[in-house]
Amino acid sequence: MTTNDTILSVQDLRKWFTLRAGLFSFNRQPSYVKAVDGVSFDVPRSGSIAIAGESGCGKTTLARTILRLVEPTSGSVLYNGENIYEMNRLELSELRLKMQLIFQNPFEVLDPRHTVVDLVGEGLVIHGLQENDEVLHDRVISALEDVRLIPAEDFATRYTHELSGGQLQRIAIARSLILKPELIIADEPVSMLDASIRTEVMNLMTDLQKEKELTYIFITHDLAQARYIGDYLIIMYLGRIAEMGPMEDVIQAPQHPYTKALVSNIPIPDPTVERDRIMLEGETPTPVDLPPGCRFKPRCQEIGVYCKEDEPILHEVASGHWVACYIE
Amino acid sequence: MAVLEVRDLATYYYLGKKELKAVDGVSFDIESRRTLGLAGESGCGKTTTAYSIMRILAENGKIARGSVTLGGVELTELSDEEMRQIRWKKASIVFQYAMNAFNPVLRIGRQIVEVIREKDKMSEEEAVLTVSTLFDEVGLKPERQTDYPHEFSGGMLQRAIIAQALACDPQLIIADEPVTALDVIVQNKILDLLRKLQDKYNLAVLFITHDLSVVAENCHDVGIMYAGNLVEVGDAASVFKKSLHPYSYKLIGAFPSVVGPKKRLEFIPGSPPNLLNLPTGCKFHPRCPFAQSICKDDIPEFREITSGHFAKCHFAGELDFGGGQ
Ligand SMILES: Nc1ncnc2c1ncn2[C@@H]1O[C@H](COP(=O)(O)OP(=O)(O)OP(=O)(O)O)[C@@H](O)[C@H]1O
Ligand SMILES: Nc1ncnc2c1ncn2[C@@H]1O[C@H](COP(=O)(O)OP(=O)(O)OP(=O)(O)O)[C@@H](O)[C@H]1O
Ligand SMILES: [Mg+2]
Ligand SMILES: [Mg+2]
Repeated sequence: MTTNDTILSVQDLRKWFTLRAGLFSFNRQPSYVKAVDGVSFDVPRSGSIAIAGESGCGKTTLARTILRLVEPTSGSVLYNGENIYEMNRLELSELRLKMQLIFQNPFEVLDPRHTVVDLVGEGLVIHGLQENDEVLHDRVISALEDVRLIPAEDFATRYTHELSGGQLQRIAIARSLILKPELIIADEPVSMLDASIRTEVMNLMTDLQKEKELTYIFITHDLAQARYIGDYLIIMYLGRIAEMGPMEDVIQAPQHPYTKALVSNIPIPDPTVERDRIMLEGETPTPVDLPPGCRFKPRCQEIGVYCKEDEPILHEVASGHWVACYIE
Repeated sequence: MAVLEVRDLATYYYLGKKELKAVDGVSFDIESRRTLGLAGESGCGKTTTAYSIMRILAENGKIARGSVTLGGVELTELSDEEMRQIRWKKASIVFQYAMNAFNPVLRIGRQIVEVIREKDKMSEEEAVLTVSTLFDEVGLKPERQTDYPHEFSGGMLQRAIIAQALACDPQLIIADEPVTALDVIVQNKILDLLRKLQDKYNLAVLFITHDLSVVAENCHDVGIMYAGNLVEVGDAASVFKKSLHPYSYKLIGAFPSVVGPKKRLEFIPGSPPNLLNLPTGCKFHPRCPFAQSICKDDIPEFREITSGHFAKCHFAGELDFGGGQ
């Protein structure tokens, strides 16, 4: 499947965390949290892929493993054909400039002792890309303006605790965009922004994509956002891909029972529209000691004979539209 | 009488010598069993409004004027100690970051027991029993009280925080973006839960979010903030269907949806307001397509246009936004 036009190819990637002994004291065998459990997909150059799925399904772990912020349990990730798990430190450092991660929780990654200018300019300094202080300052200011932190000079000297939640999140975005990467993995980058600023930031992201031929992997739990920014959608469930395909195909004609439930639960900004929601029973399971057969089975309303025995594998139901489910 | 009455509340932050008017004249009521959804763009003062009511502002923030009464008691005049008694017992807040709300090295149940015992003179055993009941109420297994925060999923932590917020039987719950970090399925479960608990405990709820679809589906009333002002308030159907303020109208139009054709979203042109240097007159006038000269000169009054539906616009009720809503 991998072609020249594939910028990133994720191949049977797994990331299992070992649970500390004693946490599940009844079990002397080591247990694993199978956060990412056999995920494969290709990202076309200048494409934008949205990855969605409920809390705890492994989205953040997938992103961190793709960037090699954690080592994988198995599998490979090819960036322009090169396996990133075989790269040396120098190659990795160059890669990290081309491939940026916008972290989910800005509170975690933004050092409270630094001012906004330092936080946004940090990457340029680390990679030795600043020409001189003045140019650096100007670039930071224009990056702040891009994410609508205006007047930028007023924000530049503040510390993180002097900003609102959404303002911090935009600092995280500016920090990545300023490096002009080829590929951005954005982990819930606009979750804290209101509709208007979110729209501007998403428009900025799509504009940059066209101008600079940027590629996006956009992680979100919000399908309305996914639809807005992505042209291809991947739905994850407990560490695996349940369904993937062209955005409109998946949203308008979801095939997997889990995707159907997700789509039916999307809120609509109109208090007079009543909709039938498919409620999923049960607490989201954790990817520890998964049941045999389909991992969605405990919450599925359409269980068939095969579902109890083997894990369904992705098969193509329409052009480019793949589903991991036995039910037709 | 309303459980919570906020009148002309103003809160400023100080950055060196500069004064930042984060909240500047906000008035609203919340009755028992009703939910007011407070929405508006990032940085418009939603969290500051909540923190002012609870009096948990950052050190460089001060309530400059206005009044906040809870069950008839004026909160802005209480001593710090009196205010501490009100917090949790009469009014609880659910913070946005579930992850940061609990101490990571203490068992979750333990932390809620401490909150209860600090406010109510109750024995250890009674408090543990109360926590069990609350856990059950929010859909958590009571035996999970002994878990540490990292053993909970995001959705479970959020429920534990709601249990903690309910621990002392409050009259008011403030929820600051309680579901932003959660997927829609968990979101809807938590919102359903809040609604049930609201009826059962006669709660007044202040629900802060930037997500208008969540407001549309879950709040009785809606308040829209812009640059520290409340620009419109009314019941949800009126605000969504018959917006009185051009900003509310625009904000509602900027929301992505999965129904209807996919389109490039319209956003509000112009710069977000500079709180350190606000425009004269109506704060929205530089971005408002309907602005007249009066809008530059005079601050519009916050007036009742139709019964229970207020707006802060010189032309509220007279504007035709076109396109029909
Ligand atoms: N360092 C870790 N050690 C053990 N388990 C982990 C670790 N990091 C993540 N997990 C577990 O892996 C699973 C996937 O977590 P991850 O953060 O990738 O989910 P997510 O899809 O990003 O969720 P959310 O939407 O809530 O951000 C969860 O069950 C989580 O508890
Ligand atoms: N401690 C502080 N010092 C100075 N300015 C502050 C401080 N805290 C907040 N601000 C500013 O006050 C304004 C209002 O902030 P607030 O946190 O109330 O916004 P918000 O409406 O909750 O926004 P968001 O949706 O992004 O969370 C913002 O412009 C913010 O930059
Ligand atoms: Mg995540
Ligand atoms: Mg806030």
